[in-house]
Amino acid sequence: MKPRHNPVWGWLYHLTAITVVGSGLLILVFMVSTSLRAPGSIPPPVLQLIPDNPSLAAYARAFSDLPLARYLFNSAVIVGIAVPLTLVFASWAALAIAGMGRRGWRIWLYALVALMIFPASAFWLARYVLFAQIGFIDTVWPLVAPALIGANPLYVLILAWAFKRIPRELWESARLDGAGTLVLWSEVGLPLVRPALGAVAVLAFAQFWGDFISPALYLRTDTRMTAPIALQALIQYDRTQWPVLTATAVVLTLPSVLLFLWVQRTAWNPGKIYERVEA
Amino acid sequence: MLNRRWLMIGVVWLVGVVALLLIQGDGSGAQVSFMIFGDPAEIAAYEGLVAAFHEQHPDTRVELIKVADQADYRARLAADFAGGTPPDVMLINYRRMAQFADAGVLEALQPYVEASSVINLDEFYENSIEPFYWDGVLQCIPQNLSSLVVFYNRDLFDVAGIPYPQMGWTWDDFLATAEALTIDADGDGTPEQYGLGIEPSMIRLMPFIWGNGGDVVDFYEQPTGLTMFREDAVTAYLWFVALSTEHGVVPNRVQEQAQDSENRFMNGTTAMFLNSRRGVPTYRGITGFTWDAAALPVGPAGPMGILHADAYCMAAAAKDKSAAWRFIEFANSIEGQTLVARSGRTVPSLRAVAESPAFLDPNAAPANSRVFLDTIPAIRALPRMVYWVDIELIFSEEIERAFYGEAEPLEALRVAGRRAIEYMELEVLRWRGP
Amino acid sequence: MFSRTLLIPFGVGALALIVLPAIVTVILAFTLYDAQTAPIWRGNQNFIDLFVIDPIFPIAARNTLIFTAVATPLRVLGALGLALLLSPERRGARLYRSGAFLPAIVPEIAYALAWVWVLNPVYGPLNQILGAFGLPQPAWLGSPDTALSGLVLAGAFQLGEGMVILIAGLKAVPNDLYRAASVDGAGRWARFWRITLPLIQPWLAVLLIRDLLWAAQGTFTLTRVMTLGGPYYSTLLMPLYIYEEAFDRFRFGLGAAATVLLVMAAAAATVLAFIALRGWGFDDEA
Repeated sequence: MKPRHNPVWGWLYHLTAITVVGSGLLILVFMVSTSLRAPGSIPPPVLQLIPDNPSLAAYARAFSDLPLARYLFNSAVIVGIAVPLTLVFASWAALAIAGMGRRGWRIWLYALVALMIFPASAFWLARYVLFAQIGFIDTVWPLVAPALIGANPLYVLILAWAFKRIPRELWESARLDGAGTLVLWSEVGLPLVRPALGAVAVLAFAQFWGDFISPALYLRTDTRMTAPIALQALIQYDRTQWPVLTATAVVLTLPSVLLFLWVQRTAWNPGKIYERVEA
Repeated sequence: MLNRRWLMIGVVWLVGVVALLLIQGDGSGAQVSFMIFGDPAEIAAYEGLVAAFHEQHPDTRVELIKVADQADYRARLAADFAGGTPPDVMLINYRRMAQFADAGVLEALQPYVEASSVINLDEFYENSIEPFYWDGVLQCIPQNLSSLVVFYNRDLFDVAGIPYPQMGWTWDDFLATAEALTIDADGDGTPEQYGLGIEPSMIRLMPFIWGNGGDVVDFYEQPTGLTMFREDAVTAYLWFVALSTEHGVVPNRVQEQAQDSENRFMNGTTAMFLNSRRGVPTYRGITGFTWDAAALPVGPAGPMGILHADAYCMAAAAKDKSAAWRFIEFANSIEGQTLVARSGRTVPSLRAVAESPAFLDPNAAPANSRVFLDTIPAIRALPRMVYWVDIELIFSEEIERAFYGEAEPLEALRVAGRRAIEYMELEVLRWRGP
Repeated sequence: MFSRTLLIPFGVGALALIVLPAIVTVILAFTLYDAQTAPIWRGNQNFIDLFVIDPIFPIAARNTLIFTAVATPLRVLGALGLALLLSPERRGARLYRSGAFLPAIVPEIAYALAWVWVLNPVYGPLNQILGAFGLPQPAWLGSPDTALSGLVLAGAFQLGEGMVILIAGLKAVPNDLYRAASVDGAGRWARFWRITLPLIQPWLAVLLIRDLLWAAQGTFTLTRVMTLGGPYYSTLLMPLYIYEEAFDRFRFGLGAAATVLLVMAAAAATVLAFIALRGWGFDDEA
């Protein structure tokens, strides 16, 4: 399948890959490069990847104009609670669905897609009223709540798929050894779907971490706000203060990137959602 | 048996979560929640206000809810009212008050004022108070009456050798000044310096319409129709649009998108910028040049200004109304308004504070803060209508299109009229009854 | 095979967070509701208002249709191209995949903001690059003619998640099939059409539906941060329109009615996509 004989193909491959991947990454490059400019400086008339006199002053401004550190901590609390819960609940649902017969499996697939069809705008007011009824306004719970549905039904789908690829015999032999559902889940299922779990962890993290509608609606107290609110606020204060805005964007992006780099070393790289499992 | 490692991880996580939630702290348990929006300078002013209030009323806790963005602020209010948990006290702009008052979600403050020994309406500027009546009952108490003024860069005037704007300057003076200060040195068709920056919107256009003897509705109290198509109004509108399309003294849409006028003013490449008092705390950070404020040019029908005012309103659903009132009362006492006035953000609605050094501080820019007071007699308010927000939005959209030369001005005005008439009819139905 | 109790958290969540709000939305769609006073039943008047009275709804609907029609294929094909290029295990492939995935995890608000800067007509890197090559420099978000293209561009670079899904699909194609085809003398192109495409169809279907739903319903943050629907409604897409009607102008009934229409359109598009790809056959590949 791979034409190894001609080295030109190899070079062409790398050239294409670097161009394509690189152009996607440019947005991050521009973000970082702009954030290194001095706040308030007039933007350069020509493209500069590294600005004259690069400085971290914009970052200092981002942290001093707003309690950004506090917001970041609050965001960390949210994802710290929500992401593990997402993995648990999503994989539970996925396992149950994967274990169903042909009919149940099919029905649930349709159900999951149907759940994806409702747009977020249909939820805001109704969820607010619901959360207000049970006294959740201004707590972390409205922000964490989507963990119940695995952050996004799509992620349940991805996991269900991964579980389904585990040969039946593996489950059955473990069950013969006296394993209950929870043990099957944690000892047999999870280790075998690590790549899919890693993917879902990264995507769910990005979702909870970047959510800026929920905190704006469901939180009140300033000391509980999350990091995206800081960026939203800075945009309002001055939407042309690009160094400070991009610096905040970089700060906001960094944790997702770090988590991704860590996860892809330990569990998952974007080449695989599941591994082939031999019985 | 579940793997011990997993159990351990689970337990550690649980402990961590509980610990983190404890660190996050408990709700404030405040008696009064007070929701505002604004930038850091404004928020700091309100924080000072709340702190001072706590000093005098140690038993009444006020919690400040800060929202950065006006649109988020409205979304929050809507959700809060729907959820039955509105903030007890909130700042509402006079153009939006009718919506809330009409729905009956505001606690009318007139009875409180009448019983109060601190607040005396005679001490307020009348044209700040008047827009906050609904059905003849005072709903909210305004903190400010900021009008639209011309902020200008003195250094650019000096360099060009042009006299500073004087009280009583005319539209022609205004245009000539803007033209003289628009400089395209390299002749590429894109000026490096603009004479003027102005947001093409209804609230910026209206003082010019009034200044030409026009108006937007026929009757202020119970409007029956829009009058934007009468000659006085149309002439002023065309003059306003021509600032961009004909005279090019403002950035075009692309240049505005690249860098907005307020930013250009702040970095010294725009000579005059029209804004309300709101811009002052930000402009005080300008170091590269000196700036000042001047009155709007006087139109053919005389001097005109436009009201910008936000008021303290109380939710009808407020739990502890006497506590909420204590706070509103304090905020609108001489002491309270003085605290907020020091931030530079507001033109105080209390005469005594407006005339005091807290507002007229000779050491704080703009040197000519008095212009805000001098223009007060000429200030007019936009109509008090439930559907005003919709009408204003429609006109602003069309004005913007005409201003940037994307639509023929009269056609844009016609479109605005066609679209707005629907809301005008709803408004008439509302006050006349079905 | 596994206890259904595992589904309880998900079921509770789906009921409380999706189904219940969906029912509320459907009911509100038939009412006049300003969130301050109790809703008033007004039958199908909201729907009539949307089509007959409100001139903005048709604009938002049209924009959304155009955006969906352009952005969805771009995103699916882009992800497919990336996946085909990067799925073979070659030297550097791992690194490239990580690089290609990274933009997908930039928080949306930061991503949108970065695009506003990139598309700045004068100082933005994109126009500076175009200018350096002597190419025309559009006003992007500054002109009603090009603003929607700017949004499409921003959407077209979020390919990471789609690529991951498709690589999973490609990896699931048994290598023996390719070997057999090679023996039969099938060229690359033939192998792609006859083997790869049919076999990754289920994944392609999921991706298509996901991107369809994103383009139709998931653009709120993008539009809110990048354009606020302007200039002159040229980038007003349905989610922003619904938000503004409801939360800015307090017409929650009208917003709910628009939501209902949006959901119905999205559901119809999903079914069409499903039929066009002749089902997704997940159940057959386990």
